[in-house]
Amino acid sequence: MRAFVAMLAAGFALSGVTGAQAYHRFWANCNTDPPTFMTTMTRDAAQDYANAARYEGYQWGGGCWNYDEVDSYPDDPPQQPGTHGEGGDCSGLTFKTWRESTDTWRDGRYYWRALRNVHGPYDAAAFRDGNGAPNHVVAKATAGVMDAFASGTHIGMVFMRSLYGGDQIVEAKCEACGTNIFYRTYRGDSAYGGVGRWGWTG
Amino acid sequence: MGLDRLMPSAAALALVVAGCGGGGGGGRPSRLLDGRAAAQFEPVGGSVIASGRVLDLDGGADGCLAAPDRANVASDAKMVERIGVDGESLTFASRDGSMVYACDGGIDPAGERHLPWCHAVVGELDGERVLDPRLDVICRDRRRRPVAYAFVDPVAGARWIGVRKDGYVEIYEVLAGLPVRVATVRGIDLENDTAAFEVTQYDAVGRELVHGELEAAVAG
Repeated sequence: MRAFVAMLAAGFALSGVTGAQAYHRFWANCNTDPPTFMTTMTRDAAQDYANAARYEGYQWGGGCWNYDEVDSYPDDPPQQPGTHGEGGDCSGLTFKTWRESTDTWRDGRYYWRALRNVHGPYDAAAFRDGNGAPNHVVAKATAGVMDAFASGTHIGMVFMRSLYGGDQIVEAKCEACGTNIFYRTYRGDSAYGGVGRWGWTG
Repeated sequence: MGLDRLMPSAAALALVVAGCGGGGGGGRPSRLLDGRAAAQFEPVGGSVIASGRVLDLDGGADGCLAAPDRANVASDAKMVERIGVDGESLTFASRDGSMVYACDGGIDPAGERHLPWCHAVVGELDGERVLDPRLDVICRDRRRRPVAYAFVDPVAGARWIGVRKDGYVEIYEVLAGLPVRVATVRGIDLENDTAAFEVTQYDAVGRELVHGELEAAVAG
């Protein structure tokens, strides 16, 4: 029995995702619907999309939420995709808001419904570096509404510019703080770079 | 520049390439990515040892690491260079030991990165353990197949990490007290941005310590 328990524990350690791997909770409500190919993508529509994700929670590696204004599974252990809770993480929220494709070479506009569980191939560092056909690096000084600031570990989108040095940032920040709009000073933080989405139509 | 409008012709080209390609399935490869003869790990039949060595960073990651990250890494930091059958990588820690970085090798399908590196990832360290495998599915190999990279945390006593491939096991040495960056072209689900790695960890003489599947998802 001891050997079995030891191997079980070692197996979880090996997987790198711990016992939470076994969770199948909020994601049971999610789907794998294909995205809708769109010809338009406006910054105010992107604001609406991200704004609607507020209060829906945060899930490391996630990208699925509903619109009931409640995080169905708050306070999961951090950095574990296997907890399968509600919400996107920072890069998942950005990916869906920016209507991107799971293929990095496609720069078209793909609308993902909230309950479509998709994260996309980019982590925060990939966004910061402008990886992928739809993304590019922008000067922080000129970053505008629904452009983003990204570091190696986090990305948040500019919901509104502020006159006081910082910005109102819409972001999926952490399990404890969820997805919301926060006043942040990423624009002046040397760890963050500016990044934008090609292809806005308005 | 994006390629959505070129999709039909790209798809046709892919079919032609696939039709002309051949090979690639099953069997132990005789060479690593850089053309070197592939050594075998004696305790594991049909295995291939990925080249691994510890070097001074000395600007070696400048081509893949963004400026803010370069500032977090000491110029004389130790890095682990790995060259395997499907991929190559560099791994090193931040100056304060709180983060681990990897440069992943391959082709950037969007054409905006230049060989040998197609992506850089960063993970948070808890001691010598990385909290998330930092899966990367952006890169492609020379045959344009997706390559998945992920960190594996060695268990206590592990000296070698084996990753099951089609027809053989690729073996990575645990080096410099860092998580081991492994690569595969098998078990990748691009639709869901996940990948599964069948991993076995061995001690110094090749005794199996643990075996299981690492299910990784792109995150953060």
